[in-house]
Amino acid sequence: MYNLLLKELKLGVSPFFYILPFLTGALMLIPGWLYFIVLLYFCWITVPNMCGAYKSQNDLQFSLMMPVTKKDIVKAKVAVIVILELLHIVTAVIFGFINTQLYPDFTNFFFGPTVGFWGLGFIMLAIFNLIFISMYFKTAYKFGAPTIVAITAAMLFAGGAEWLGIKNSTIFDLFKGSGADNLAIHVPILLTGIVIFAVFTIIAYHIAIKRFMKVDI
Amino acid sequence: MMALDVKNLNKKYEQFQLKDVSFQLKKGYIMGFIGANGAGKTTTIKSILNLTHFDSGDISTLGKNFIEHELEMKQVIGYAFGGVNYYTRSKIKNVTNVVKKFYKHWDEDTYNNYLKRFDLDENKKIAQLSEGMKVKYNLALALSHGSKLLILDEPTSGLDPVARDNLLDLFQELVEDGEISILFSTHITSDLEKCADYITYIHNGEIINSAEKEEFINTYRLLNGSESQLEKVKDDLISYKENSFGFTGLIHEEDFDPTLEINSARPNLEEIMIYFSKREGLYV
Repeated sequence: MYNLLLKELKLGVSPFFYILPFLTGALMLIPGWLYFIVLLYFCWITVPNMCGAYKSQNDLQFSLMMPVTKKDIVKAKVAVIVILELLHIVTAVIFGFINTQLYPDFTNFFFGPTVGFWGLGFIMLAIFNLIFISMYFKTAYKFGAPTIVAITAAMLFAGGAEWLGIKNSTIFDLFKGSGADNLAIHVPILLTGIVIFAVFTIIAYHIAIKRFMKVDI
Repeated sequence: MMALDVKNLNKKYEQFQLKDVSFQLKKGYIMGFIGANGAGKTTTIKSILNLTHFDSGDISTLGKNFIEHELEMKQVIGYAFGGVNYYTRSKIKNVTNVVKKFYKHWDEDTYNNYLKRFDLDENKKIAQLSEGMKVKYNLALALSHGSKLLILDEPTSGLDPVARDNLLDLFQELVEDGEISILFSTHITSDLEKCADYITYIHNGEIINSAEKEEFINTYRLLNGSESQLEKVKDDLISYKENSFGFTGLIHEEDFDPTLEINSARPNLEEIMIYFSKREGLYV
């Protein structure tokens, strides 16, 4: 599995996608922006391009030629998605921190880069992973429909959360009002987000294995 | 010991099925797997390697059930589907560096020897290699991790006659010590006349015959006779072609009655394939 992961990182994924998180992360410096978009770039750009490259490079056949099981292949590919997602989040968090230093008194209409916001970011990617990973491995090469459905669900979550943050006074207060600096509430939100991210991704991984086992190469 | 033992392999698709495919390859020999396009060669090979699910059957490689010992078996089986058609924009060097990490018995010296022998430049990208070179690169990879069984799907298709001949010489050299066995599929029957020890012929998802090469050919006779003679043997022929002089047709050796005094000759593999596929046409 470790060798397969190395294979993915060295051959499968273009180095561009390791740089992209820094480019999209820098968008956190736009004051008052809709920061969910920064993470969504991963879903919009990296995922379809990466899967397109797998398909055109005949990656599945290559991977299966190696002494590995189909389960290992799913594991390695899910690991790559998670690694890239974490890279996107970590760089966005760093740029988010710079944002708060640059504009300390800025009033955000949408969610600002608070600790709890990143928990919501994790939940959004968890929803994306659950749908995308489980749908993609039905064929392991058709990525169009899984990407569209997963992105739509992630965006609905982001849109819904932003809408609540504007309309609901408790949530407004928590993220943009007096509670914005309250780590006692924000850290649990972040941790909950991380747990949901892990659980959803693990569920997706198990569904993916079941489906990929039935795929004829 | 059997290098490969396929027993009663069945796999049903909507418009095609493998029916009770069985054959054995003894260790240290070359088996040619022939059949027309779409006869089921690749499906059989993919089933052997667990790339495609089969509905029923048993596959053993080097004496062990393949599915139960998949990882262990893949360490000692080299396989190639034609040339290298993956990561074609990457340099050979980079692909090899990834591939070699997977194998416990990777031998760098053997690999370098094959690179030299095949005249492969590690700094070239796969896309820059000719078809023949791609097959050779695949073989170099397979042989450097100590493969005991090579399963090659149409390795000679798309190669020029010289490259094909070189490759066939290499196959023979590889099996000389009796350690390596080769199963290769092809529809170029002259390749098999040159180097195969055994022939397995698949037609429409069914194994027509699997035997030692001479025995395989001797199972059939090619008849050449007049129209009146055709009437006498018509029902026993596998199929026949009529021409202005009479007919030519293929018959099982056992069905051939020498007392009829029809000219008969030893067919070649190509003729056997052609007449079998013609049989199908007769019944349609």
